[in-house]
Formats: sequence, C-alpha cells, structure tokens
Amino acid sequence: MPVLTVLERLARSVRAGAALAALALAAPGAGDELLIGAATSLRDPLEASAREFEATHPELRLRLTYGASDVLAAQVRAGAPLDVLLSADAAIAAQLAAEGLAAEPRALARNRLVVVAAPEIAPLRSPADLAGPAIRRIAVPEHGVPVGRYAREWLAERGLLGRVAPRIVPTEHARATLAAVDQGGADAAIVYTTDARLARHARVVWEIPDAEQPEIAYAAVVLRSTRAPLAARAYVSFLIEGPGRAHLERAGFAPPP
Amino acid sequence: MTGEIVWITLQVGAAATLLAAPPAIALGYVLARREFRAKPWVQAGVALPMVLPPVAVGLGLLLLLGHRGPLGPLWRALDVQLVFTRAAAVLAAAVVGFPLLVRACEQAFAEVDPRLERVARSLGAGAARVFFRVTLPLASRGVLYGVVLAFTRALGEFGATAIVAGILPGRTETLALGIYARIQLGDDREALILCAASFALALGAMLGAEIFLRRRTSPP
Repeated sequence: MPVLTVLERLARSVRAGAALAALALAAPGAGDELLIGAATSLRDPLEASAREFEATHPELRLRLTYGASDVLAAQVRAGAPLDVLLSADAAIAAQLAAEGLAAEPRALARNRLVVVAAPEIAPLRSPADLAGPAIRRIAVPEHGVPVGRYAREWLAERGLLGRVAPRIVPTEHARATLAAVDQGGADAAIVYTTDARLARHARVVWEIPDAEQPEIAYAAVVLRSTRAPLAARAYVSFLIEGPGRAHLERAGFAPPP
Repeated sequence: MTGEIVWITLQVGAAATLLAAPPAIALGYVLARREFRAKPWVQAGVALPMVLPPVAVGLGLLLLLGHRGPLGPLWRALDVQLVFTRAAAVLAAAVVGFPLLVRACEQAFAEVDPRLERVARSLGAGAARVFFRVTLPLASRGVLYGVVLAFTRALGEFGATAIVAGILPGRTETLALGIYARIQLGDDREALILCAASFALALGAMLGAEIFLRRRTSPP
C-alpha cells in the first residue's frame, strides 16, 4: 500500500516538525543570558573582553548585538529584550532614563573623529578639500546616528555641511561607514579614531585638532526591562572599573572625564 | 557561532512551514474545487505577501504584533511580548511563505480528478475521509513541493523578519540576518562563512526534496 507508507512518512515528518516547532517557540532560558546592545564602534573591545567576563561569571552568558545607538534605543522602546545598552551618545541613554526605560546612565568612554579616505585619495590640505573635486562620495550616517550627528556638526562648524551634503552617502552605523570606504563604495568618510585603526584599505587623510573635536561621550545603561539587573550592573562595572576598561583603552577609547 | 545560527534558521524555517501548512492546504483545496465571484480577489490577496516588499510585510506585522499598534492594548492586557522574539521570526517567515504553499496546493489539488472523489463518496466515505485518503495522497507530490518551497523561502527570509524580530544573536538571528549584519560591520569573512552555510542548507533542502519525491513516484 504505497499511499499508506507515504502518509506514515508524512505523519512522521510532521511529528518531528512539531517537536522542532515547540523548541523554536520556547522562551530562551531566563537569567543565564545577558543581551547587550552596543554601538558598533565598541565591537572589537567588547568581543575581546567577553570571554574574560564569562570566565569570572561562569553562570552568565553574554550575547552582544551591534547597531546604531539610536536604532538600538528605538528597539528598546518597541520592547526588545535588551539588558544593557552601550550608547555612543550619552544623550540617547539619558533620554531612555528620562522615559523610565533605563536606570541612571554611567559614563563609559570618550572617542574622537578623524577623516579617512580610499588609498588613492591624497591627504587633505584642509577640510575644504572634502568639497573639492577629488572626493565624490562621503560616507556619513544620518543625523540620528551618533557618529552621523558628530560628523555633521563638525562639518557645519567648518561651514562645509551645505557643500558636502550632496555627496553624502548615508550609512547605517559607525562601522558601516568605515566599511563603505574599505569596500570601495565611498571615497572618504568621517569615522571614530577607534574605527580608523581597524581599516583594511582606508587611510587617515585629515586629523581633526583637539579644539574642533566634538564632545563624544559613550554611556552604559541597565534597562528597566532586564530580568537580571544584578548581572547587568556587574557587566557595566566590569566595563567601567573592571578588566573591560583595559580592552577599551587598548582599542583607543579614552576614559570618561 | 555558525552552528547556532544554522540551528535557529532551521527551527524558524520548520516552525514557520508547519504553522503555514494547514491553512494553506485548506485554502488551496477550496481554491481548486470551488468557483465563486470573489475568487480572483482571494487569489490576489493571498499572493500579496509574496509580491509586496518584505519590509512592508514586516511593518504590517509590527503594527499587528507591537504594543503600540491597534492591537497593543490586547497584547499588553495579555502581557504578551511578540516583537523581537523567535515567535515573531516564525510568524514573519510563515506569512511570507504562505502564498507559495497555497499556490502549489491549489495546482496540486486541481490536478486530482474530482471523479475519484465522487467514487469514494458513492462508496460511503465521508468528506474528511475522502480528503485524507484520496485527495491528499493523490496531490501529495505537489503539496510536498509547496512545503519545500515555503520552507526554503522561510530559510532565506530577511526583510519582514528584520523589522519584526530584530537581529538578536542566539534568539532571532538567522543566516540571512547574520549575513546582513556582518556585511554592515565590514566583517566579510564571517559573512562569507554564513553565506556558505546558507548555500549548503538551501541545496540540501532542495536536493532532499527531489530525492524524496523521486522515490515516491518511482514504480514499486
């Protein structure tokens, strides 16, 4: 009876599938996992220090997800189950706290901006070269993304934003901005100095002097929706006072003021 | 890491297919057997999730499932959080794969000779018995093909899933989402590894289906 064997086989696959479905819909284990949303610029030091944190907190597992800080904050508002947000803009963290979605933010680190460009672009003689003929596409995220706001403010203060704006290729976040130049999609980009160190092809073509540097303050917040507030606080202090600090500094982040 | 992402992708794909299959098979049967005035509208409506931009489907799901959408008060009252969960990833993949399944089932059922069903009825079988013992087995090849199509579509689902489930490692990060996130981060090596895994999974699913169907149809 071939028809029956087919049905049996179908029924078997359905049963196996149902078991899978039950697994898929089951809630992840609570409490043993911390979900950290972090600015993409923090990726390398966080990845480097994650093992160390897990070694000293064997009952915890770190999950790191990266994105533009404003996008991560929007996800928190929409109910994303993040435990900690590490924002590249302290104002974004403060706003979440003001909305009652996060505890008091803690200062995490500072950063700087630098202009990078593809290898064939000559070093700039002045920032005005960004509006010159050699550079046709400049990667800068939208104003909502922290590095996008910092870069646009710096351009505006130099009186260049209007002339540069038509050449801006909007990117999704800090690391995508560097990748745009590394992958050849843009001629130049305004990035964090910490990201510029990781460039594969892009080179620094203009150092922005201290006096012109915007105030780039990173902040860490424990989110109200966390089911493991103690563990979340432990991770934040691991980054600020603990062994995580050395990883941040090795990656080029300055300590908070 | 790759293993876990593959495992989540398989779970989401399988759960989405199982969720979509029963209603899709029922609807496919109705569309194959019944004529009614609104039929073209139903067919076009069913196809919509397949032809709309997936991010638009994602936005629609976000409105339906989110605490800020029109059903928000309901979800809040039930204390149910669906957005950014694996359940949301399953729903998104199921919605996008549903039209493929309905279409395949409709065609498969249309090819079954209705006289065979009438003979079974005349011999005293009830409607359910006729469907499960005559119609479905005869249409099983086409139905299974639809199931495989929906499953593989679910494996690759990106746009709707990214909106409604986010890219949360260990929870909702599937292969398609993982590839995108790593390209954005400039991590081409890991992106390529995940692409290779995607390739293997898709090829495996299609190959498995072809071999299964061949065994089914070869003479005993």
